Amino acid sequence: MSPAESNRTRTSIRALQVIMISMTLIVLGRIFYLQVVEYDTYAALGQENSVRQEYVDPARGLIYDRNGTLIVDNEPIFSITITPSLFDREKIPLLASLMGVHKSVIKARVLQAQEYSWYRTSRLFTEIDFKRFSLIQENLWQLPGIGHQIESKRHYPTDIKASHVLGYLREANESEYQNSPELRLGDKIGKSGLELTYEDSLRGELGIRYLKVNAFGQELGNFEQEELGRIPVQGSDLISTIDVELQKFTEELMKGKRGAVVVMNPNTGAILALASSPSYDQSKLAGRLDLDYWQSINADSTTPLYNRAISSRQPPGSTFKPLMGIIGLHLGIVTPKTKVYNSGAYIRGRAYRDLADVGEYDLKKAITFSSNTYFLSLMDKIATQGKLNEWSKLVKDFGLGVPLNIDLNNATAGIIPDSTYLNNRFGVRKWGLGDVLNFGIGQGLISASPLQIAVMTSAIANGGYRVEPHLVQAIRNSEGKISRKQPAVRKIDWVKPEYLAEVKKGMRGVVTEGSGRWYANIPNLEVAGKTGTAQNPHGLDHGWFTTFAPIDNPEIVVTAFIENAGFASVSAAPVASLITEKYLTGEIKRKWIYDHVINFKPTDPDADESDTNTETTAANE
Amino acid sequence: MNNLRELSWSVIFTWVLLATMGLIAIYSATQGPVSQFLPEYIQNNFYKQVGWVAVSVFIMIGILIVPPRNFVQLSYVFYAFGIILMILTLLFGREVNGAKSWIGIGPFGGQSSEIMKVATILAAANYLTSRRNISAENVKYALTTVAIILIPTIIVILQNDLGTALIFLTLIPVMLFWSGLPYGVSLFIISPAVIAYLSVIEWYYGAIAAIILSFIIFLVQRRVWLTITSLITGLLTISGIQLALTQLLQPHQIARIAAFTNPSYDPTGAGWNVIQAKTAIGSGGLTGKGFLEGTQTQLKFLPEQWTDFVFCVIGEEFGFIGATIVIVAFLFLFVRLLNMAGNHKHPFAQLFIVSVTAVFFTHFFINVGSASALLPVIGLPLPFISYGGSAFIVNTVMLGICLNMDFHKREFSIYR
Repeated sequence: MSPAESNRTRTSIRALQVIMISMTLIVLGRIFYLQVVEYDTYAALGQENSVRQEYVDPARGLIYDRNGTLIVDNEPIFSITITPSLFDREKIPLLASLMGVHKSVIKARVLQAQEYSWYRTSRLFTEIDFKRFSLIQENLWQLPGIGHQIESKRHYPTDIKASHVLGYLREANESEYQNSPELRLGDKIGKSGLELTYEDSLRGELGIRYLKVNAFGQELGNFEQEELGRIPVQGSDLISTIDVELQKFTEELMKGKRGAVVVMNPNTGAILALASSPSYDQSKLAGRLDLDYWQSINADSTTPLYNRAISSRQPPGSTFKPLMGIIGLHLGIVTPKTKVYNSGAYIRGRAYRDLADVGEYDLKKAITFSSNTYFLSLMDKIATQGKLNEWSKLVKDFGLGVPLNIDLNNATAGIIPDSTYLNNRFGVRKWGLGDVLNFGIGQGLISASPLQIAVMTSAIANGGYRVEPHLVQAIRNSEGKISRKQPAVRKIDWVKPEYLAEVKKGMRGVVTEGSGRWYANIPNLEVAGKTGTAQNPHGLDHGWFTTFAPIDNPEIVVTAFIENAGFASVSAAPVASLITEKYLTGEIKRKWIYDHVINFKPTDPDADESDTNTETTAANE
Repeated sequence: MNNLRELSWSVIFTWVLLATMGLIAIYSATQGPVSQFLPEYIQNNFYKQVGWVAVSVFIMIGILIVPPRNFVQLSYVFYAFGIILMILTLLFGREVNGAKSWIGIGPFGGQSSEIMKVATILAAANYLTSRRNISAENVKYALTTVAIILIPTIIVILQNDLGTALIFLTLIPVMLFWSGLPYGVSLFIISPAVIAYLSVIEWYYGAIAAIILSFIIFLVQRRVWLTITSLITGLLTISGIQLALTQLLQPHQIARIAAFTNPSYDPTGAGWNVIQAKTAIGSGGLTGKGFLEGTQTQLKFLPEQWTDFVFCVIGEEFGFIGATIVIVAFLFLFVRLLNMAGNHKHPFAQLFIVSVTAVFFTHFFINVGSASALLPVIGLPLPFISYGGSAFIVNTVMLGICLNMDFHKREFSIYR
């Protein structure tokens, strides 16, 4: 080998070595950059890749009736989810065959999911049956981007609706989930009824778990650092005061009518049944929202979402008369012996008609036959003696005109006017006796909800105790600890037993000899009650009947309110009476009344009500 | 028999070290917790590789015993045999990962292009050193050499194995350069590759490179026409690349290139491999996550983690320390082999060793470069580490021949 050649060889070797060493150093530098300089970035990426944070929804608390019957529970719904960015479109035929649908369906849904978000997971199919769900689960490994999810929806195992008691769930709106760390987008929360009132108890606490996932998105069990996660706390169960049997019967009677019924234990305020009709089917609002149904109940002119039992404000009509009697006795304006002569009308500025038979009326008889004259003259004296504000205060002690502390939202306070109210309403000195007088017969500006009438009736029945109406008697937390709710029962201090005895006699008379004698009298039971009419300027009057039994040791108060029903004695009275009979005897002996109620149609206003032009006609019931 | 102490034990040690690292990485990639997501035939890759490594030990011993002149004498026979095998593969071969490169009967067989690598180097080296005064400066010799290399290259391209074609193409500048092609001209031959690589990233990077390279060529060679030709070639390369990117290439090919320049462009499509490979290496950190502990590997975020992305497994589980051991071992191998060539007196041995080193280096650079997103993803195995029987055996054969010629240096030097 020539020296020149060997020289060139050496140079070439050096050149090649320099090239290879420098290129290798570039590679080494690159590796150093990735592993040492950028370690934090890629460590986080790696972690993100293989660990998935998942929220675990707590099971929502259940709702039981007073006897332990389950009324609201949870039902699992199975969903298939998709993350479009990870999805392989070539898997569409496989997915279609697993789901048993046509390829075009999958294509359309994938497109929809892509439009929502390319990277976020959304639901591809919801509420699929368990068999398909399992099939997808087994094949998840060959379906990148497809996931599965078990959610739950409310389920109502009994055949009661109780929609206005239980309420429904809807997705939380933006301000709700932004103000609560426990809520996420898409979470459902109670929007009405007990679901709303007891949301915090029912909801439970959100759990978090960290899952190891592989490149195919398959879950591989819990991440090692389990302490990072949080076990969900199951929501507390509610033990309600509702009696499923009675609720069911009440709903049956109210079907096809417009109105409300409140059934209450007069000694505690526990509500045994509460129905507002028309109602809605909350099971249709559970799970996937049936938009058509939701719109239809919202648009319905009969307002099925409206809870008439607690929100409706109606003049109590003659149901108010017993309370007037108690106040009259307390104020000393009348005694049990005081007699007022009914000449067929009470004349004071104008004639107020009285349809009760002409004659002398003491308090008992005035209640029994609902004489207007007696109570108009009583109100006249209260007003002229300047005791209007005192009267208002005494009425409010019975739960009228004040907010009731019931565990449902949207309960109305009703209106029991005093001078301040009238000054605001009409202007100072712009109102007079004429505006006040018909308060005595439960008409005019005064108004109350069926619930308030039930509370008032309870106080008369139970010896003058004001109860707090409530629907939940106990809450049982996830550890099984039961906290009982003991709503206050407060004695109304000024009410004396003798006042009540007198009024009760009158209310007993309503059922035995007054307007309630046909439909409200139950053989072998000492029932008391009072009918009433809420005047309705827009159509047929609304009927009231409030009743309690047995008269001495009352166990039940029923207040029924039927809209556009005409005479309360044939509309509201039989409903309330049947519920009382059912509760106290366990059966219905008066089948003909049951048939009457089921087939009841409000009578035509023009044919029946000849005296609608006279303010107080129907109030005589 | 020569004194065994004259055998380059450090190279043998490096060979053992790389093979061991390879087996560890393949074990982790196929037998670790990840195995539950892998089909059984892939899980078995580890045991197959153990078998190949064991066989290779005997092959290595066998090759060291053979008198070196046999390789010279039989080089054209090997070459002819290799070409026939390649054509048969093209006609009757089995497709593996999109390339029709596997031929065999029953369970026995391999990639014919691997055998062709050593056959081509032997044949071209033999041709270029068969007579005194052969120089690549002579156009006839240069073109014949190019033809010897291009024939297998074309067959490999027809087999749809572009990565291996790149290895063959690398041989052209290296072998011509070694055989007397002027430095400037050699630089001119490889300049399109550099310009092309840079202009894929940004066209003006390519333009800057074209100007700098032409200037260096002018400084080395002082030939105006060569410089101008170089500049024009550079500009043509840039325009060609732009045309290919915008007009010629299929969308999925463009996606792959786009994924290289900007992986986040399509993180779940073409960019997936790049991101996952980078994440695997990067998240390994200084010391790694530990054997069988790499989440990217064990949860199957890495594609082809027993072959093309095997380096990621090492990077993830053994960290920068593990990666550096591999890289330094390779660097040692390259430098040591080139020194071996420089110290050899026989031109055939010199050219053969240099070419083998170039092949190893190209494999190494492309494989690790792809894994660390320095290069677009080109599927090439990492010598001695990646799973693959034919590759491991042929690489061992090539290394063995180098060691053989070094071992038999004195007796071979007088052979002409």
